Amino acid sequence: MTVAGYQIRLQRRASLPGWKAAMFSILAILFGLLLFSFIFLQADQSPKEIYKQIFRYAFFNSYGLRLTINRFIFLAMASYAFIIPFRAGLWNIGMPGQLYMGALAAFGVVYLLGGKTGDLAVAQPVVLVLMVIASMVAGALIGGIAGLLKGKWNVNEIVVTMMLNFIAFYFVSFMIKDGGPFMNVGGRGESFELPEAARAPLIAGFPYTLVMVFVLMIVLYVLFSRMSLGYQIRAFGKSPSAARYAGINPFKISVLVFMLGGALAGLAGYHYFGAVPGVYKIARTYGYFGDLSFYGMICGLISLGNPIATLFIALLFGGLSIGGRYAQGKLHLGFGVDYALMGVLMISLVAFQFFYNYQITFSKKPTGK
Amino acid sequence: MSKTKEQEPIELHGDIWKHIQPGEVILDARGITKRYPGGVLANDHIDFKIRAGEIHAILGENGAGKTTLMSILFGLLQPDEGEIYVRGLKVRFRSPEDAIKMGIGMVHQHRKLVPAHTVLENILLGHPRSRGVINVKEAEEEVVAIAERYGFKVDPRARVWQLTEGEKQVVEIVKALYRGAKILILDEPTSALTPVETERLLESIETMTNEALGVVPFITHKLPMVLTISDHVTILRRGKVVDHIETAKATEQILAQKMVGRPVIFDLQKPPSQPGEPVIQVENLSAKNNKGVIALKNVSFTVREGEILGIAGVAGNGQHELAETIFGMRPAETGKIIFNGQDITQLSILDRWKLGMGYTPAERTEVGSIGDFSLVENVAMNYYFDKRYNHSGFLDYGRLRGLTEQIIEEYDVATPGPDVKIQTLSGGNLQKIIMGRVLSRQPKLVIANLPAQGLDVGATEFVQRKLLEARSNRAAVILISEDLDEILSLSDWIAPMYEGHIVDIIPAAEAKKDIIGAMIAGLHQEN
Repeated sequence: MTVAGYQIRLQRRASLPGWKAAMFSILAILFGLLLFSFIFLQADQSPKEIYKQIFRYAFFNSYGLRLTINRFIFLAMASYAFIIPFRAGLWNIGMPGQLYMGALAAFGVVYLLGGKTGDLAVAQPVVLVLMVIASMVAGALIGGIAGLLKGKWNVNEIVVTMMLNFIAFYFVSFMIKDGGPFMNVGGRGESFELPEAARAPLIAGFPYTLVMVFVLMIVLYVLFSRMSLGYQIRAFGKSPSAARYAGINPFKISVLVFMLGGALAGLAGYHYFGAVPGVYKIARTYGYFGDLSFYGMICGLISLGNPIATLFIALLFGGLSIGGRYAQGKLHLGFGVDYALMGVLMISLVAFQFFYNYQITFSKKPTGK
Repeated sequence: MSKTKEQEPIELHGDIWKHIQPGEVILDARGITKRYPGGVLANDHIDFKIRAGEIHAILGENGAGKTTLMSILFGLLQPDEGEIYVRGLKVRFRSPEDAIKMGIGMVHQHRKLVPAHTVLENILLGHPRSRGVINVKEAEEEVVAIAERYGFKVDPRARVWQLTEGEKQVVEIVKALYRGAKILILDEPTSALTPVETERLLESIETMTNEALGVVPFITHKLPMVLTISDHVTILRRGKVVDHIETAKATEQILAQKMVGRPVIFDLQKPPSQPGEPVIQVENLSAKNNKGVIALKNVSFTVREGEILGIAGVAGNGQHELAETIFGMRPAETGKIIFNGQDITQLSILDRWKLGMGYTPAERTEVGSIGDFSLVENVAMNYYFDKRYNHSGFLDYGRLRGLTEQIIEEYDVATPGPDVKIQTLSGGNLQKIIMGRVLSRQPKLVIANLPAQGLDVGATEFVQRKLLEARSNRAAVILISEDLDEILSLSDWIAPMYEGHIVDIIPAAEAKKDIIGAMIAGLHQEN
């Protein structure tokens, strides 16, 4: 293409430094916000004012920030649950089911210790550790089913995880609704409330699960960039046939990545129902959080499976979903504007990934041609 | 993009190919220049002409610019400078679609077919006619008619994954012809073919040239092939045309020298064999192929330290299954594999690596390497489990990098460095990395599956020397090759295979090429 005497060309990139990838993501976000301002203008609203409201509430209002962080932790864990199988070339669509089972298992620990009706006989740290372990084991077990079927008989993991979501969804329903063992004394279609001793401690007003997210980031980063297991997962993800030739066991990898992914989704379930202040029960609307966990897929895909980049994306979407909803109510915007905004940003982020592989170069067109 | 008249030749397709005279210039490339980012000049003012009814070979080592030139002619790349004329009409191809419409067909070295689809579906895929409703029956008849006219055998209803490499190539050629190609570009057309298939292809090509089609095979390593089939040769080196020669005036030595830029030695130095203890004993081994049919039938042999067993045979006669079964990538249906006195028939692939077996697969890009991984990560494929490089679960990437640099150095691999993706390497350099990686483990048994297939003269010589070096280092080597000259020059024992059986095991000193040729074609009478 030629513009004003300059030749503009598209060229494939040989490599891309990390800072440039980050820069393109920031440009993509700015571009998405700019694009969406036209929709606000169309509705006679000032985009500047709306964005100010969204970001101020999500990140600078102490109440809003807490909501943002709670959601960020949840999204980050769900993203990691997606990323681990994703790096092995497998698709985990089962975060909802895995987190339901994780939440149930955590509440099951409390239930077994007699926490439904009275106080717990065991010290708080012990309960917390047991709850965390139980949620991860439960998530790993239900996730492992998909890995097992994939590894043994090559059954499509997307279908299996999807179907398991339904099973888990109704299993939770059975457990917490009227007549279920975990039902709330007041009914209301929700689970019993956690007693004091089973509630997660707060660090500076944030649940302690926030620390887990950063630990997970480091663990995953090291796993994929330094460890033999991470290498095997990546090799299998890039080329199953080459991985098999190299002696990597496809069955082991399939089961392992789904168990690890499931464990992290289970932890996300524990976080939202067991560690977020003011919740401490499996809410009647638990299905909403199952749906929310699908944003983990989006964060994982946008960050191309990079555990560090994932956190930034998860924070952005966590904040936007909180701030967007707030601004929508406060400024009387149309229904669904918050989700539409997130959708536009996602598309923009994905579209800008074009520049990860290509670059545009300008050169003075030689004259006389 | 500025639009000029020359870029819209599409409608002319019907007219432009009328009344071709044999010997007429049908494609004229002038001053083709292509520069890649980083300043690599892949094509430097290349001129050449193709005449109707001529076979015009283009010769050059890996990296000489053949692929770039071919991609430009087929519209996959746009040249920075230069012009292309088809029958005197200046053309500019923005995409392969434009090139196809101008009558240029291309058969890639790496097949571009959909394995799960039938032959007919693959041929119709992308055909202008397939946009609307297709009359499948009519199309099938036409395809069969074209195939028959040029002497190809294709079953239009077979699935592509069931075909041999040779058959897949036929599908690609028929596909190009069905689209009306008048100039057929074949990229390394014989590299995956057996002698019989090659002969058949050459006959078909002759039929094409009799009909005044221009055929351009790009050939790197099979110099005798160039001499037998082509009318003209254009030799490229480092992006430049070194020479245009009439084939009748050329010899193998002249071509090799011009191509490599130095005299090439065709004789390998092979020290006398000093066999030691048996390393691998295969007893009564059988295995199935990918279609679930027994393709390896009751094979038995022994290879000792310091020996090369050459498995000769036409593709699809069980050699591939043999290699994969010995290496554990395919279950043995019957029989035993004994390695250094230990029965390993049931062991995993990983255990076999650890015990000191090494395998260099024929499918270098799909199995032998991971294109998206760096050279270092590819080298790690054989070392991630090795205690020297894996410290309680953590990989020693620093050390792996050192090893990779060592392989690059020792094997003379042309690469900007160990951190580039391996898919940027040419075929020869890729094979050098795979060989280097496997041989650096100092395996007691090396199974080399088509080690020199598709490589240029220099790389072939190198790989073969390395196999002899492994033999001198007391390794047992199983060499699988479809090239009888390679088998004869490297092996100590020769085992021709036909339909899953080993016909005989002959000491190399007593082997004669014509007898082995008859054995692999199933013509040998048992006496």
